Amino acid sequence: MTPNIDPIIHIDEELCTGCRRCAAVCPVDAIIGEAGTPQRIDAHRCVVCGQCVQTCAAYAAESDPSLTSRAEKLRQRGQLSSVREPLFAAYSTGHAIELKEALADPKRYKVVQCAPVIRVSLAEEFGLPLGTLTPGKMAAALRLLNFDRVYDTNFGADVTIMEEGSELIGRVMSGERLPMFTSCCPAWVKHAETAAPHVLDHLSSCKSPMQMVGALVKTYSAELDGIAPADILSVAVMPCTCKKFEAGREEMNVDGLREVDMVITTRELAQLIKDKGIDFINLPDEPFDSPLGKYSGAGTIFGATGGVMEAAIRTGYELVTHESIPNLQLDFIRGDEGIRTATVQIGDLELKVAMVAGLKYVSSILEQVAGGTCPYHFIEVMACPEGCVSGGGQPKLLLETQRKSAYQARKSSIYRHDSNQKVRKSHENPAIIKLYKDFLGEPLGHTSHHLLHTKFFSRKVKGELK
Amino acid sequence: MKKERPNSFVIAEAGKCIGCKACELACFAVHNRDNGVAAAVGTVTTPVIPRLYVIRTDSFTMPVQCRHCENAPCAGVCPVQAIQQEEGAITIDEDRCIGCKACAMACPFGAISLYKAYSSGQEHKQPHLRERLDGHLERKTRVIAYKCDLCHDIVSDGNTASGEIAAAGRVTDISKGDMTVGPVPACVSVCPEQALTLVSPSLGASRSRKAAGLRL
Repeated sequence: MTPNIDPIIHIDEELCTGCRRCAAVCPVDAIIGEAGTPQRIDAHRCVVCGQCVQTCAAYAAESDPSLTSRAEKLRQRGQLSSVREPLFAAYSTGHAIELKEALADPKRYKVVQCAPVIRVSLAEEFGLPLGTLTPGKMAAALRLLNFDRVYDTNFGADVTIMEEGSELIGRVMSGERLPMFTSCCPAWVKHAETAAPHVLDHLSSCKSPMQMVGALVKTYSAELDGIAPADILSVAVMPCTCKKFEAGREEMNVDGLREVDMVITTRELAQLIKDKGIDFINLPDEPFDSPLGKYSGAGTIFGATGGVMEAAIRTGYELVTHESIPNLQLDFIRGDEGIRTATVQIGDLELKVAMVAGLKYVSSILEQVAGGTCPYHFIEVMACPEGCVSGGGQPKLLLETQRKSAYQARKSSIYRHDSNQKVRKSHENPAIIKLYKDFLGEPLGHTSHHLLHTKFFSRKVKGELK
Repeated sequence: MKKERPNSFVIAEAGKCIGCKACELACFAVHNRDNGVAAAVGTVTTPVIPRLYVIRTDSFTMPVQCRHCENAPCAGVCPVQAIQQEEGAITIDEDRCIGCKACAMACPFGAISLYKAYSSGQEHKQPHLRERLDGHLERKTRVIAYKCDLCHDIVSDGNTASGEIAAAGRVTDISKGDMTVGPVPACVSVCPEQALTLVSPSLGASRSRKAAGLRL
């Protein structure tokens, strides 16, 4: 499968009314055009976050005979012909058609992983209340779609904590390359590469949980299942349009094979389920497959802003102090859009952390880093307003007035899911312990470096706007 | 004599409207709960049929909708009395509508449109009238008149799909001469530019006199 070079986020000129609400939500000023005329996207600046896709209300009216046919528009957008929802001017390239074909191929071993927040938003596409939690129905639906293995990005989130937490501790002890930024949000990574290459050394070298699972699917799990890695189709269901871009990055391969062959969004998964005529609401719950489907509460909360930080502190505290963390629910870290900061006492260390939600808020921190005045050790950056719960591939709301309550409902559902888990710390997840014992050895070890870490490259060009 | 209050209506300020069509989408969303429309776009299985329309000219854009005329000409020409005065609004009984288009022709604002009728997310077929499709006779889909009903029955019930419609819009009560915020039609509550206003005039008061007073 070839890396995806499509710009992924598009504005349909035929439908765009030039209202520029997309430009207002774009955190990187990548939408260009005069008011009242169709807009276009500067693909270089665009971080593929898809917030414009979420905001756009300019839809194709049935009554407009001047428009290209719906069937043709669906085809251009890579969307299944069975999709019935209205088509909007801003959209992301779909991969459901390709996936539907690949799922029908008996020669391929089809493996899927789902991001933490798919289970708290997928049901909205079937009319259930905002934030309804349905991990069991989701796993069942994926099996009915013909996946051979149903795995979980949450597992990858737990691996990320092991690797990133160890990396942070190492950097704090040595005082090197601080602050350390998270690297799991691909839109943030693309923005850093494009607009602030001076901070690239400060990014954690960890791949995102999605890519980590992808790498482990074609190595560890392939070995366990006795499947040739080249026969595996590795699919990810993501709340994020930029994950399509991330999966296509050239360096995201394991021994020449793509780690993630195909990414679909929450909305596209719902469309595939409907296309197959599956009665999602009445599906009986099914578990995820082992071992890459076992996760802790810490892995689950990655989907909300501050989640990576909270998960990292749960594990980091115990790795440093060798004591049990007194309180698992770190409320001071939870919140929404903007910058939140906190100081966490870990043994003798006063760890200063910051959480950025909404890419437009990151510039002040980038300036501090450039000026050498940044006071934080660890900074989580999520491009979308409230983290992945508000991602560009999540169910799109018909009413703007429901946006806040939707994000709130999805977030509380995630936190509820965490608090109901028996294991709530990544390093206590038995499947993670086994992964390190049998396969990876230790965090930041040789195999980890080969499979789970990466490098970032400046994308800065002279003259900025093309 | 009982003191009557004229019908309220929603009006847009062309200078503020950016033409985003969020009002059309919201209008459709709240009127189609019976067609399975919930919070997410993915629950929509029918064409988007709003009850107001964003119009564009070279110099401005704004939504146009029913003015809820006191002596509604649409009601006067409806041969089956499907158009009624109801709780401060002019409404169409869509079950009764025969799709004759008389109301659409009588409306001085172009606020009435005719489209297919849907129920439970499917085209609503007629019991008797048939048309030839692909070589065989099929029951014809009903076509009915749609127009703004000021979200009556909807705002008071709240949004049953998942939460309520936030009252983000403005309500202008000219009779009281103040701006109050309360339940408003969906289009008013979602407009990102607050270009839409629910106007509740009072009988006999001079609109221009009051408006001039408010500006002082």
